[in-house]
Amino acid sequence: MSHHDAAHAGGAHDAHGDHRPSIYDPRRWLFSTNHKDIGTMYLVFAIIAGLIGGAMSGLIRWELKEPGITFLPHLVHVPHAILEQVRLGVMNADQLWAWKVDAAKHFYDTLVTYHGLIMIFFMVMPAMIGGFGNWFVPLMIGAPDMAFPRMNNISFWLLPVSFTLAMISFLVPGAGDHAGFGGGWTLYAPLSTNWGGGATPFSYHDGPAMDFLILSLHIAGASSILGAINFITTIFNMRAPGMTLHRMPLFVWSMLVTVWLLVLSLPVLAGALTMLLTDRNFHTNFFNPAGGGDPVMYQHLFWFFGHPEVYILILPGFGMVSQIVSTFSRKPVFGYLGMAYAMVSIGLIGFVVWAHHMYTVGMGLDLEAYFIAATMVIAVPTGIKIFSWIATMWGGSIDFKVPMLWAIGFIFLFTVGGVTGVVLANSGVDTSFHDTYYVVAHFHYVLSLGAVFAIFGGFFYWIPKMSGYRYNGFLAGLQFWIMFIGVNIVFFPQHFLGAQGMPRRHVDYNEAYQYWNNISTIGYLITAVGVLVFLVTLVEMFLVKRKAGANPWGEGANTLEWSLSSPPPFHQFNELPVIKPEAGH
Amino acid sequence: MKRTSLTAVVVVGVVAGMTGLAFAAVPLYEAFCRATGYGGTTQVAEAAPGRVLDQSIEVRFDANIAPDLPVTFAPKQRSQMLRIGESNVAFYRIHNLSNEAIVAHANYNVTPQVAGSYFFKTECFCFNDRVLAPGEEADLPLIYFISPDIVSDPDTRELSTLTLSYTFFRAADQSAAIASN
Repeated sequence: MSHHDAAHAGGAHDAHGDHRPSIYDPRRWLFSTNHKDIGTMYLVFAIIAGLIGGAMSGLIRWELKEPGITFLPHLVHVPHAILEQVRLGVMNADQLWAWKVDAAKHFYDTLVTYHGLIMIFFMVMPAMIGGFGNWFVPLMIGAPDMAFPRMNNISFWLLPVSFTLAMISFLVPGAGDHAGFGGGWTLYAPLSTNWGGGATPFSYHDGPAMDFLILSLHIAGASSILGAINFITTIFNMRAPGMTLHRMPLFVWSMLVTVWLLVLSLPVLAGALTMLLTDRNFHTNFFNPAGGGDPVMYQHLFWFFGHPEVYILILPGFGMVSQIVSTFSRKPVFGYLGMAYAMVSIGLIGFVVWAHHMYTVGMGLDLEAYFIAATMVIAVPTGIKIFSWIATMWGGSIDFKVPMLWAIGFIFLFTVGGVTGVVLANSGVDTSFHDTYYVVAHFHYVLSLGAVFAIFGGFFYWIPKMSGYRYNGFLAGLQFWIMFIGVNIVFFPQHFLGAQGMPRRHVDYNEAYQYWNNISTIGYLITAVGVLVFLVTLVEMFLVKRKAGANPWGEGANTLEWSLSSPPPFHQFNELPVIKPEAGH
Repeated sequence: MKRTSLTAVVVVGVVAGMTGLAFAAVPLYEAFCRATGYGGTTQVAEAAPGRVLDQSIEVRFDANIAPDLPVTFAPKQRSQMLRIGESNVAFYRIHNLSNEAIVAHANYNVTPQVAGSYFFKTECFCFNDRVLAPGEEADLPLIYFISPDIVSDPDTRELSTLTLSYTFFRAADQSAAIASN
């Protein structure tokens, strides 16, 4: 490609490019201002958080394998006071089991809650935005680093702090004796309030767990907003000469739209959480009807954030899939501008559809009709993207390398999730499907199977660049097929369960639902084997150390990162590459 | 100012603006409900319009109590038939079962919620918080009418029954009760 020679100047003649500190020096990581090191830390953090969040979903699926509350009671923490009663003979074994079953109900609710929060805030967002974004936005636009490298450092290090607070929240009392907050990732008032204290017949979450969770999400939000400011400034001001907005790779476009969504939506979540915090601790009544507040307003504020948030989780995936499909079809992306502006319009429309999450609050037909129409409109730009990916592959010289498998898997499964999304957009249908497993199946198809497939695709696409090593194609391919089969067995039957009326977030279910729940749990076990194979692939890759050249993917990979060595020099583009018109995207 | 700093400052401004909007949503949301009858929010009027239709409509009365409020609370009439536009009086009865003064706060709405903008109250015990003396029993009055416009709205003209619902809460501000104790 024509910018190859230009980039050479940035990489090879970079005199101090190889003065990279030892990876065993903690200062390299603690005080890092290097976008690639920070990106690596984000990716490691996301993998660890993903394993924890994934283990929680394992506990959920194991409990749901058969009806009855049979598994989680063995795991609940029994407080000292209860053990003392057993020792004194005040409580017999049956009564102790009954106590444990009761505690298991709350434990199940907390697992559902923290699984969701961890996967969203500590797995998908750090992997896509912090990890791949930090690594490849500067490389792809020809910038030496992010605009504010020290702010980049604090963006990352706020995240472990936030995660620690979330884990503390999981373990400290939430509702009465029971640990953790069990009101779902949406933190709906009044479940997330402490009205009634503990003395009255009703109290929601009177313990400190919810307060810790609020602080945790505040800090995660601050981390993301700082990161977003950094990305916007970098993309607007630090593009290499000739890299106009309309020549940026689609991954950079996807990040630009994503971080704007963060900037516009996260402050609203921060506001709603602050209102919750003051309602809980400082006698305000934002959501308390006894003081003239309204809990439904919490839902509006939450989903004004929450709906853009689900696009935040998927848009970087769109970007990565575009790069991968183009690379392995050896063709430029079909309809580049349409692809870029489809993401912009998905982002914009994403802000005016939030109430489709709350059709059941009773909002009047006209309002419902509006939200149905606006929601369905999103299928248009999304369809543009799906068809453009297919058109990119059409007539291409397709190479089914592992990243391409993940990308095609993404396109297929995301489309399935998109179709059930259009079904759910209808308020009439949603009135019956609201809070059933149909919804669970829908959003896991777009996120667990969509976003996560995009992350794995991006990971295997870029790992030769990031590490300098090639992965073992057999192991990585094996992981893809095991996980593809596994996740579909987990989630496809949940459509049936939902259509039959099985409610989500319930620890127990009617025996009629046993068949598909059992199959779904078997699917989880298959998926878990896939995750193990992923870890083995990682270890094998770093042990065997097969050197990857600057560009292991051949002529299809023509974005700037492939013009640098693998791994790239510690500091790149000291002489900026010049982008000529034909070299863009 | 450097171009990068300028961009950063603008984005920080956007963040601050969105935070402000989140809090501005509180009064805006209330104003929106009042103006549109959204969520079955009833309306307030000085007096009935004077225009009375031949057509009648049934109003049912519902009463609820928050679990931590030691009172009984019930409508004195299960329902009323009245002509549309006509002003009518209804009563609820409340009994403080405790031996403490309590400030009680009533929330209300009307279902179907689309009818909220046609349900007018000229006088209601729900307009202010109420101090209940220990053991006090009281009849709570309500004067209301249904606006004749209800028959010209395609969403509401078929309605033959409306349900007016109240829920009494222990008011968040109990200072008036503490003063009277």
